[in-house]
Amino acid sequence: MSGHQEGSGGPGRRLGVYVCRCGGNISDYVDVGRVVDAIKDDADVVVAREAMFTCSDATQQEIVQDIAEQRLDGLVVASCSPMLHKFTFREVARRGGLNPYEYTQANIREQCSWTHTDDREGATRKAVRLVRAAMARTRLSEPLEPLEVETTGAALVVGGGVAGMRAAIGLADLGIGVFLVEREAELGGWVRSFGEMFPNGTSGRELVERMREEIASRPAIKVFTEAELVAKSGTYGNYEVTVHVAREAVRLQVGQILVATGFDTYQPEVGELGYGIRGVVTLAELRRLLDGTEGPIRHEGRPVRSIAYIYCVGARDGQHPYCSRYCCTAAVHSSLLVSDRDPEVRQYHLYRDLRTYGKNELMFGESRRRGSAYLKFADDEPPEVRAEGERLRVKVRDMLTGGAELSLMADLVVLVTGAVARENDELIATLKLPLSRDGFFNEIHPKLRPVETVVDGVSICGACQSPKTVAESVASGLAAVAQAAAVLKAGTAQLDPQVAVVQPSSCTGCGACVGSCPFEAISISAVDGARVATIDPSACKGCGGCVPTCPEDAIDLRGYTDVQVRAMIDGLLEGASA
Amino acid sequence: MTSGVLDPGLSDKLRQLGAFDAERCMSCGICTAICPMGISTLPRRVMRLAALGLEDEVRAQREAIFSCLLCRACEVSCPAGVHIADNVRLLRSWLLRGEL
Repeated sequence: MSGHQEGSGGPGRRLGVYVCRCGGNISDYVDVGRVVDAIKDDADVVVAREAMFTCSDATQQEIVQDIAEQRLDGLVVASCSPMLHKFTFREVARRGGLNPYEYTQANIREQCSWTHTDDREGATRKAVRLVRAAMARTRLSEPLEPLEVETTGAALVVGGGVAGMRAAIGLADLGIGVFLVEREAELGGWVRSFGEMFPNGTSGRELVERMREEIASRPAIKVFTEAELVAKSGTYGNYEVTVHVAREAVRLQVGQILVATGFDTYQPEVGELGYGIRGVVTLAELRRLLDGTEGPIRHEGRPVRSIAYIYCVGARDGQHPYCSRYCCTAAVHSSLLVSDRDPEVRQYHLYRDLRTYGKNELMFGESRRRGSAYLKFADDEPPEVRAEGERLRVKVRDMLTGGAELSLMADLVVLVTGAVARENDELIATLKLPLSRDGFFNEIHPKLRPVETVVDGVSICGACQSPKTVAESVASGLAAVAQAAAVLKAGTAQLDPQVAVVQPSSCTGCGACVGSCPFEAISISAVDGARVATIDPSACKGCGGCVPTCPEDAIDLRGYTDVQVRAMIDGLLEGASA
Repeated sequence: MTSGVLDPGLSDKLRQLGAFDAERCMSCGICTAICPMGISTLPRRVMRLAALGLEDEVRAQREAIFSCLLCRACEVSCPAGVHIADNVRLLRSWLLRGEL
């Protein structure tokens, strides 16, 4: 551990440089002590230390103290990727009384120790260069203040199924005005048509009715039915959206947009697993049959004595490689509804893999206890269904009976179909929504940022994101409420100040930069009679795409100015001789 | 290779003799791993053949069914709570019906 080093004291900068061992993650392959020794006598370095875990509370506290006691005005931490700890150390800088943007992170873990495990010498030299580059940037850093914008305290919810309805209620209860836009004539989506649902036996119809009453009792929610979102403009926290209601364009001002447009179920081809033969239905069709009738089950006038369920139809295949999550449980639950009404009905479940996850496993156990038989078929050997007289013969090779060729007679074959993404091309184009490989809307991170999208101000919830149960849809609707409300209730939002700025005296107004901006943040306007480019800081994302397009070098990116980037390159090359 | 038509009639017949509950089996195979007799068809496969109602196949397992010690080692380990030994006794009495 090297102690405090009084540097040569450059032109006014006082840098603290901390090199992390990451508990061996770095120090096993990078000679951390040598990195510290290499830079400790460089210009402007006041403090140079190594630490076992720089992100630990103890070391953070040490840095805070150093900043105050040594009057540091620049901070460099050489550790992991800034993706992991940029905000941690910006906060450390702030706690020490230093502007957070006077901090630079050098990544000597992902870029040195993890990539060059076979070359300790090379990894160490590369680490020295990266630290010098970070120091070079920090020497030229300037304090920056986050850009504060006021936000419009209203939200738009697109889609009035259970997720969208719950989100609208949640937002209204937090005192936020809501515009709820539904394409159909009524709110409620899929759940509106459901009778008893798992896991608690709640009726879908009654649930939707209750939510509709709750919405009606909240004046903060304005519902538009038979309406579609057709346009969106504006910047972070302040959007103008256009909604077509009965061919009339309504313009609304909102601060956040929640998308809850739901899903569709896979529709089998005629001939797929016997679909089209009388008595072969989808799970949705069975549900309609169960929800619409009472007493012993009949299908097209014939009594149903035996049912075969075929799972994973239009799911986990070449075209739909994903699992649809809810269908196994929905099918098992439906079989319990059948046995509630007529315990004598024989039920066979032909599955590939069964996932009645969580508490729903109890339903799987209950269905076996009531006599349901489960047969497992191989991915490449689906069952065969054909008509035989008035009934249906199903042939299946059962892997749980040593690949036995079994057949059974059924009155009803139920194809347990998965969820597919709903066609929503216009909405996708309007909001520039990112799609996952499966065609559903994509979140930023499934665990860490599960309802946000890469489009600012637009969150997703419910089954438009991925197949979900009712409970999961409602939960994600509330997650989106929390996310949107955090922005809207604050009244203001803080945006990253590391944005592009134009030097008006150098700008000729040629417009070369305008087309380079993917966020439409640049416009040409007249200032004092001269045409110059202006960049809206609330729309700019700091990507730097416009910087090299300027023939006059009139654009700079705050935090990564041309001068800083050149100095970083010099810093990298200086390290080459170490 | 085993083959046959699933016939719920067998479990109905067994249930007339007693509390047959092999349908609860989820085919995990713990019982077979634990069986001290080491007979490959005991007990998981026998339970499955009976639950699916493959009568001829069950009859073909007569020797295995009568080799069972009724020690209940499988039963205490069964995560689905199947009364395996009771089911074996029911199968024996079903097989012997008409012979005694």
